[in-house]
Amino acid sequence: MSTTAGDATPVGPGGDNDGALRADTAFERATIGLGISLLAVVGALALGAIILAGSGQNPLTAYGAIIVGSFGDWFAIGETLARAAPLAVVGIGAAIALRAGVITIGAQGQLIAGSLGALCAGFVLRDVPAGVALPLAAVAGALFGMVWVLIPALLRAHLNVNEILSTLLFNEFAFLLLAYLLNGPLKEPRAITPKSEPLPDSVVLGDLVASTRLHAGVLAVVVLVALFGLWTRSTMGYRYDLFGENPRLAHSLGIPGRRIILNSLLISGALAGLAGWLQAAGLLQRLFVDIAEEIGFFGLVVAMLGGARPLGILAAALLVGALQAGGLHMQATEGIPASLSDVIQALILLGFAVRYAPQIAAIARRAVRSISETLGAVASWGRTANRAAGSGKGPGGS
Amino acid sequence: MSGQSDPASPTEMATGRSNPGEGGTLAFEGLGVSRAFGATQALDSVDFDLRPGEIHALVGENGAGKSTLAKIVAGTLRADSGTLRLFGEPYSPRRRSDGSAAGVAHVRQQLSLVRGLTVAQNIELGRPRRAGTTAWRPWPRVFNSSEARAEVERLAAELDLSVPADRIVDDLPLAVRQQAEILISLAWGARLLILDEPSSALGPLETEALITLCLRLRDEGTPIIYISHRLPELAELADRLTVLRQGRVVTAGTDVAAADLRRIAELMIGDISLLEVERPTLEPGELRLEAGGLHLAAEHGPGLRDVSLRVRAGEIVGVVGVAGNGQEELAGVLTGQLRPDAGVVRIDGIEVTGSPAAAIGAGVALLPEDRTAGLAADFTLAENLIARRVADAPFARLGVRLRAAVRRHARALAERFDVRPPEPGLRAGSLSGGNQQKLMAAREMERNPAVLVAAGPTKGLDPHAGRAIRDRCFEAAGLGGAVVIISADLDEVAELAQRVVVLSGGRVTDRFDIEEMTSARLGAVMAGLAWDPSSEVGRSPAGSGAPRATP
Repeated sequence: MSTTAGDATPVGPGGDNDGALRADTAFERATIGLGISLLAVVGALALGAIILAGSGQNPLTAYGAIIVGSFGDWFAIGETLARAAPLAVVGIGAAIALRAGVITIGAQGQLIAGSLGALCAGFVLRDVPAGVALPLAAVAGALFGMVWVLIPALLRAHLNVNEILSTLLFNEFAFLLLAYLLNGPLKEPRAITPKSEPLPDSVVLGDLVASTRLHAGVLAVVVLVALFGLWTRSTMGYRYDLFGENPRLAHSLGIPGRRIILNSLLISGALAGLAGWLQAAGLLQRLFVDIAEEIGFFGLVVAMLGGARPLGILAAALLVGALQAGGLHMQATEGIPASLSDVIQALILLGFAVRYAPQIAAIARRAVRSISETLGAVASWGRTANRAAGSGKGPGGS
Repeated sequence: MSGQSDPASPTEMATGRSNPGEGGTLAFEGLGVSRAFGATQALDSVDFDLRPGEIHALVGENGAGKSTLAKIVAGTLRADSGTLRLFGEPYSPRRRSDGSAAGVAHVRQQLSLVRGLTVAQNIELGRPRRAGTTAWRPWPRVFNSSEARAEVERLAAELDLSVPADRIVDDLPLAVRQQAEILISLAWGARLLILDEPSSALGPLETEALITLCLRLRDEGTPIIYISHRLPELAELADRLTVLRQGRVVTAGTDVAAADLRRIAELMIGDISLLEVERPTLEPGELRLEAGGLHLAAEHGPGLRDVSLRVRAGEIVGVVGVAGNGQEELAGVLTGQLRPDAGVVRIDGIEVTGSPAAAIGAGVALLPEDRTAGLAADFTLAENLIARRVADAPFARLGVRLRAAVRRHARALAERFDVRPPEPGLRAGSLSGGNQQKLMAAREMERNPAVLVAAGPTKGLDPHAGRAIRDRCFEAAGLGGAVVIISADLDEVAELAQRVVVLSGGRVTDRFDIEEMTSARLGAVMAGLAWDPSSEVGRSPAGSGAPRATP
């Protein structure tokens, strides 16, 4: 657009509509997110109370049982932590992929593969000292998880085969393979239900606290969360995130997209395999058909609920772990059916997830902004607003 | 832009066969049609009519208002003011379905066939309800595949087209898909067709077939509004022609048979003035960017055919052409992002063909036309500004980013490039368009680029931001960079470039120094006509002859 002289109308600063700055500071995002979450969870609890009351249960004692079952005593806390551990590990892997723009739902199968890896390592390393055998079993778990994602990862990176579909199918393969092995070659001879022999002592993770199921593998989670924190601040992690955020920009900056897709899937596979190792060598100490429970899927939930950030994932894993432990307790003590317990758990999770709905976030943002404007706002917001007003009146054209 | 400076008044051209009344009512008539988008007046009191049984071509530069007018006729857009009549009846469509129900079909560049379905399924899906049958029905319409297939086959036979009824549309070549869409429009009861740049992605033979089809449709009584800037094809096809420029009618309803196409081409471009910009004097230095023999086959559009470009230090070369003639591909190839099928790109003698990393290493900076391709909207300013040098010394140690250094760098850089507000922690997506462009420029041009490729760098910016970006381009050249401006906006090129290269159909059709740039010459080569300098005798170069009044 050139300005022609002799034109009667003066050419002002064109972009009236785009001059205004959306106050999008990190602080604002965080407070809005928290506010939405709290409101939504309260709403979910209210809805759950109606359902519970409608099926003849006392909502207050039911919710009380969830709290008691998740944080009521050392055993409950141990249950919560032991359930949260594999969820956090799977969540970290899913988060690295998510940040790179890859959605994998194959953790379920990779976890099974990882638990098989831990079992194989246990059989091979039966007579090796635990100091050597334990870490090797963990490595075996991670490797098996990686192998299980290798084919979907290669297909995605080189032939653009949808990773959601392929990893989902590989979950089925893993489950069927495990069921076959536990009914056949790996079956404990005298057992009635299909399960493997116990893992040898050399690869079993000991209990951290007596008379709980809290095992030493939980410590590995702390290390992994710290490593993931480092990843988010590393230059390599930056490139993965940039690719996920804008693949075209990443390409123009010479960042190799295929390698990122491949590696992020392999990393997520390794972490899901580690979660399988935690289950096999820590919590259960042998393999059952349902060893994966729904950890793979809830791990993805944890990654998304936690905003794919380290502390967020930790918090989300604890939340889901507590809900599961408390939900079981509620079933046992209040006689609430498992299905109803699942519904209540899902409702509460949904409440937390609502903050990620863009429309709801937009409504909340508007609400927060109008409140903040009427209250005169926090100092930093006022400053940004002033600057926005200033830039709107910037120097004009000719 | 001011209307007073139009070089030719509408009456200058022969107005063709007038007297619309003689053949009965007009197929379409729009009087005083205006439409604004924000501060931009896309259409300014435009009169346009279409007679029954004619092809009326609508021509003009990018942004002249052709597509806006087409959308208003089709009902996709509403006019701010003006009256429309369709086959004599008052016509005020509120949405596109109103237009289709009234018999107006708009075939756009981006075809609207549903992928994954066959042609027969497409004909059934989205069939407009006939007028009078708008009542709500409690039962869904049952898809009758054999009936739909028969309908496609009957129409294809009537129109002499080979459109297969049972093939998934994705598998059909573009030309056939286009025919299918026209066929479906007719099946849906179109009485008036609007074809928007229908030939832009077609080869010569396919264009011939399209012309044949249009003439047949016209002769069978379906009038067509044909939007194009390819004058040679219009000469074969259109009965009348209207030129739009900057939302105004420059010449209305000219009889194509009697028109001087060169003059039309010149009218499309309008006046180019070179006097407005203070251009720094730049002395070209040694050769920095050298691209030779570039060939690239593109899925859509012409790709590149034997394109060569040499740019020296301190030189600014403008690549002009109507959008979709290979500009995007050229920008991609020059910056290593697209690997050409043949040809070499060298920067300071180092080959960077097809390797973005090598191009960046050699000092290439790119301002892509599509800003969404050049910024990470959800990243902060600081994270965006560090993208090219995230692992460099002060900003990372042992592979870990040092946030304080990155933020300091971001604030300084944002202030240097006048990004407002220069807050490192702000989301890039929350900036205004102009500031996003400045942010991108800051990242790309932080360290004097060896080669700067800027595609439409000032497109859509307010004058202030536009000037800032222009100054950056001059600065890049002044510091010894080779600058390539790729743009469909001639004003932008006129303001920046010293040399001009014209791309048409993926080929370089003309090269000249900016002083030799005239509307007549540009209009001709951009519209695909051959340029013969002798036809310009007696005409002075734009800018030196009769410049517009200066302040």
